Amino acid sequence: MSPMRPRPDVCRTTSAIWNRHPPCPPRPVRAHPIQPCAIGIEINELPLTQTFSFRYQFRSPKYDRGPLHPHQPPPESHPSSRLFVPGPFSSPRAEQSYESTVAPDIMTLCYVHTPPGFKPPPKAPRLREWDDSSPYHKNRVLRGPRGGDVLRLLRKPIKFNNIPEIERITIHSYVKNAAAENSTWLHVAGIAVQAISNMRVETFKSKSSVATWGIHPGRDTVAVKAELFGENMYHFLGKLVDVVLPRIKDWEGVKGSSGDSSGNITFGLEPESVAMFPEIEVNYDMYPPKMIPGCHITLHTSAKTDKDARLLLSAMGLPFYGKIVN
Amino acid sequence: MSMHTSLRRTAASITTSTTTILPSRLPQSSTTFICSQCRHATLLRRPKRPYTFTQLITLSDGSTFTHRTTSPAPIYRSTRDTRNSVLWNPSSSKLMNVEDDEAGRLAAFRAKFGRSYDAAAPPTDDNSADAKQEAAEAKAAQAEEDSMLDLISSFGKRAPPPPPEKKNPYKK
Repeated sequence: MSPMRPRPDVCRTTSAIWNRHPPCPPRPVRAHPIQPCAIGIEINELPLTQTFSFRYQFRSPKYDRGPLHPHQPPPESHPSSRLFVPGPFSSPRAEQSYESTVAPDIMTLCYVHTPPGFKPPPKAPRLREWDDSSPYHKNRVLRGPRGGDVLRLLRKPIKFNNIPEIERITIHSYVKNAAAENSTWLHVAGIAVQAISNMRVETFKSKSSVATWGIHPGRDTVAVKAELFGENMYHFLGKLVDVVLPRIKDWEGVKGSSGDSSGNITFGLEPESVAMFPEIEVNYDMYPPKMIPGCHITLHTSAKTDKDARLLLSAMGLPFYGKIVN
Repeated sequence: MSMHTSLRRTAASITTSTTTILPSRLPQSSTTFICSQCRHATLLRRPKRPYTFTQLITLSDGSTFTHRTTSPAPIYRSTRDTRNSVLWNPSSSKLMNVEDDEAGRLAAFRAKFGRSYDAAAPPTDDNSADAKQEAAEAKAAQAEEDSMLDLISSFGKRAPPPPPEKKNPYKK
């Protein structure tokens, strides 16, 4: 929603049209500059920063009627669009510290000097050829890498233009009692997650069956998720690191083995820890105390390996402990 | 998100973008289907955003910063944060849980009554080691003084008579 969020480049034609014909007509240019007037202020001497109610104002169509309809809604980034979300309005502290300190430090730390004229030795192809021991190997798709079929992300050397940064933060909460009991659990979890994240949450149905909790796939709405981008994300991260995590009792840090080995790190918070967020603490009595959810927080970074992601996140103030994997 | 897509369209696209938390409003299926000619119109819902306030956070060392939050309190004062937590300040001796044993009394007690595991424990740091040594010296000096006093007070006296034998009432 915010401008930092990568948007699918959906319709080039409409955006081109919208760029060519801006829906807001240009501000009227006054022929004569305003003279200081002793008598009274007339209509045509009002400051032009005000908008005139009688002026033509474009209103986006309420419905999207398909790509072939002549009346197209403006792109999402246009202020007259119904889907427009204004912002960002502030520069969060965590973002400022990233830009001023963390990013240059990481770039310096990860610098690998190569003398001029150095060429790295050629690597073996990631997908292996078949040895032509059988005639059936002809035109067969290439073999996967050794030791599993997973192709890891390619880690390029970190330069000024690919310094790892935090792309988004996902707060996910699985409420198991929502299926067995009533939907109050889900409402409370949604409001709690909304309070700590400044974002409306989405709900999700269960994909798997959990017989002990009475959860049936596709029937029961059991989970709540908020995705944070840009400004909200940095506000949440700063609040989490500076205020909430130090207050958790006997918290050792994020486990070093956490992560999906492509730069995304997840950790969980207990319900007692979620209750320590200042937004929940300020009106703690409004929440049913047993229904405050725990949550999983995933930090999606643009790093290609967990090691780089851990470097970034520990520079942002997130401690890690235990055995470091990847 | 996918308001302007021409071909691919999910049934849940509108609702997921507007993010309602009411389970009854959610569409039933989330299958992706290809709609080559979409005759229906989809409602462009205005995104809902919770109201946010600007809050000033005061950390425990007095530093402040502002952030946007849903909490209406204008100022938040934290008592425990990164500035006074051991995990973020591992080298700070002020925050570490060190035994304050300047007079060496705890060490002396442990030397006298301690079991093997804490009497024989290696000294935690130089301070307590010194204290322990001082306590041991003081103890030795005290014992010496006591024995000298005993000598002085017992000079010129006869040896104390042996304690009278107790009568055993059951022995005849």
